[in-house]
Amino acid sequence: MDSLLQQLERFSEVLAVSRTTHVSTWDAATVRRALQWARYLRHVHRRFGRHARIRKALERRLQNQWKQEGGSGPAPALGLTNFQALGHCDLLLSLRLLANRALGDAAFHYLLQELFPGPGVPGAEEGTLQGSLALLARRRAAVHMLRSSAYRENPVLQEDSLMKTQAELLLERLQEVGEAHAEGPGRFLSRLWEHLPHNNFLKVTAAALLLPPSSPRHQEEESELGNPRRAGERGRELLHWLLGKSEVIVAFCRNLPAGLLTSVAGRHPEVSRVYLGLLTDWGRHLHYDLQKGIWIGTESQDVPWEELYGRFQSLCQAPPPLKDEVLTTLKSCKAQDGDFEVPGLSIWTDLLLALESGA
Amino acid sequence: MAQDSVGLSSDYQFWIQKLSVWKQASTLETQQDTCLYLPQFQEFLRQMYEALKEMDSNTVIERFPTIGQLLAKTCRNPFILAYDESQKILIWCLCCLINKDPQNSGESQLNSWTRGLLSRILAAFRSDIKEVDLFTQGLGYAPADYYPGLLKNMVLSLVSELRENHLNGFNTQSRKKICLPVSAVLCLWLRHLPSLEKAVLHLFEKLVSSERNCLRRIECFMKDSLLPEAACHPAIFRVVDEMFRYALLETEGAPEVLAAMQVFTRCFVEALEKENQQPKFALKTYFPYASPSLVMVLLQRPKDIPQGLWHRPLKRISEMLKEIVEDETQGSSGGPFENWFLLAHFGGWADIAAEQLLTSVGDAEPPEALLWLLAFSSSPGDGPQQRAQTMVEVKAVLSHLGRLLRSPTLSAGNLLAAAEESREGDPRPPACQQLTRRLLLNFLLWAPGGRAMARDVITLMARTDEIMHEIVGFLDQTLYRWDHLGVDAPGSRKLARELLAELRGQA
Repeated sequence: MDSLLQQLERFSEVLAVSRTTHVSTWDAATVRRALQWARYLRHVHRRFGRHARIRKALERRLQNQWKQEGGSGPAPALGLTNFQALGHCDLLLSLRLLANRALGDAAFHYLLQELFPGPGVPGAEEGTLQGSLALLARRRAAVHMLRSSAYRENPVLQEDSLMKTQAELLLERLQEVGEAHAEGPGRFLSRLWEHLPHNNFLKVTAAALLLPPSSPRHQEEESELGNPRRAGERGRELLHWLLGKSEVIVAFCRNLPAGLLTSVAGRHPEVSRVYLGLLTDWGRHLHYDLQKGIWIGTESQDVPWEELYGRFQSLCQAPPPLKDEVLTTLKSCKAQDGDFEVPGLSIWTDLLLALESGA
Repeated sequence: MAQDSVGLSSDYQFWIQKLSVWKQASTLETQQDTCLYLPQFQEFLRQMYEALKEMDSNTVIERFPTIGQLLAKTCRNPFILAYDESQKILIWCLCCLINKDPQNSGESQLNSWTRGLLSRILAAFRSDIKEVDLFTQGLGYAPADYYPGLLKNMVLSLVSELRENHLNGFNTQSRKKICLPVSAVLCLWLRHLPSLEKAVLHLFEKLVSSERNCLRRIECFMKDSLLPEAACHPAIFRVVDEMFRYALLETEGAPEVLAAMQVFTRCFVEALEKENQQPKFALKTYFPYASPSLVMVLLQRPKDIPQGLWHRPLKRISEMLKEIVEDETQGSSGGPFENWFLLAHFGGWADIAAEQLLTSVGDAEPPEALLWLLAFSSSPGDGPQQRAQTMVEVKAVLSHLGRLLRSPTLSAGNLLAAAEESREGDPRPPACQQLTRRLLLNFLLWAPGGRAMARDVITLMARTDEIMHEIVGFLDQTLYRWDHLGVDAPGSRKLARELLAELRGQA
């Protein structure tokens, strides 16, 4: 076990070096050894994919390493990031070497011969690097092609293909992290929050919370991981973390579009509770300006009336029980304020009036 | 070898020109043109590779001085790179240019340039959305990890958007119209059964909700859905067929479902014929439970046979079916339902049988074969005795109608009575009633006396909404059939059209 872990660490170093100018010292023999090593680790991946204990140990080591590198940071990972990456570490190594200008001509020539032996090996294509690299190029072109000619951002965010893909990836990664360390997902998410642009991250989180319950997707990984995903549990850790970090949930409720939040609240009652709590809080910060005849805030970060109304309107268009919950909340707030029917005295009265007339 | 190289040279010129026009294939025209030529271009790349691999890099430049242009332009065209093996062959070609040991700056530069191109083809996808890149990197994923998922999502959303646009007739003016080639949709459906099922269900929804009783529109929707064309592939045909089968079972033979299935079959047969002179798949792969000779006869197009000779295939069909269905020892070709289901695909034959019976009413004894066919198609579950009974009833109706034809006392009331009174005076089973209604309607359209009182008879007949619905359906189907078969009967056609318009207006 220890020797395996050592191998892993050393290969990770090799992988890291493969991007640097240090490869200028590599000759054909070095390249050969590096590729062989990668092939060996691929074999390890195949062999131990079903051994939960070994897999877990390897996963943990890799994730720790990644964290030490400053994982989730803005730069692409230097080494291997997780067990799954072992499955195509040879591909990873090859790509880096191919792109590295510092690699000498002779070594590069050797690399090409190894990677692209040419036609004449029928049927074996599937497992070869030649096949995988060609497939990668093909997919890249297909994505580019679709993106430039046929893609349009879907106004329903959770159905947008880019959003959905990011959401699926997030949940997948959380699952792996969770399997290696029990407290892993929370810490991982916090790191992501620190390093990634918030806006996109929040949208992806919402999309992830709206993904349909687990279907037999990624069946290969499932059987490799030996741990079938349990339906409905996919977003658990994400939700837990979201609700646990006040900074994040506030940003979530404040910055995401009303329709999206309504969908999330409809699916996850815990979110709807927090969301309603925040909305009522924000509402209380506004006061009525007699001269202008409108509700306004005093500080710049106060949520303006229009936005508040927009969010409540969206919530009222949701199916029950959410819709009912919202109306009950509004009515009870209105009652607390004195149950006025005339406008201008309680923001809740005014909101209800506006919602009724708008509906 | 010399001949090959001459051929290659002229091809080369052709392709360099094409590539210059295509550029990055960013307009609809260049995209469509590129797609048309993809297979040939791949073949050309293969030939280039075969030539290049025999040369060293200096010879290559001598022989093809503009090779750089060719390869660079190819690298910039994502359609080419995404097609089949083109990207692989292109990489091989580039590998041929790499010099193991460059002797001068020229060779070094060539190496450098070639490596740049290789990098470009294989480099990580720099999406123009910075956030996606950042996010996936932040998660520790390389493009190789997430391309399959991303592609799947993009294609699925595109296909569902196209399908909605097609079926809603919505014009996407805000952006370019993209025609997803049938082969791409076919690939998707073959690999991902749920998308196929969704497409069929979507079609069913559309048909049932809005286009009842208008076969022409149903045909349009059917063709737009691409299902008939795709069904040329037996796997797809079988799935769609199963869904029709279940729909029929669940709705207990609803006429709308039957009509839709017949339209589907028609469009499917049309697509099959258009696609290939030689059928790619044996008929048995489409209809595995049916007798192949029966399928062959059913597939015959009445259009190809002179109208006067239609009774021949009808007789054949009837005899074959009778043999299969009534011979209890023959278990192999499926029971009555399977055979009825098969016949229902080609419903036109039963309709033609009814018409034939009517147009020759009063002339001679109605042929037993036609009577059997009609009885079977309207009530496949009957035992032989029951069926014989039905045939007798129908015969009686026909002869009664024949008598009325020559009688001076022809009136709407008489006609209706002739059709509706059963011999024993007992009410006929509903399937039989439907059959006699159909015969009566045919009579009205064809017999000279019938035309005069068509409206009155129909008014008397249509006692319930359901029956009215049935009549409208009959008229629509008849006109649809006549249009496709080119039946020459201007008087009957006019009458049918008028009646249909009136009845539709009333509904």
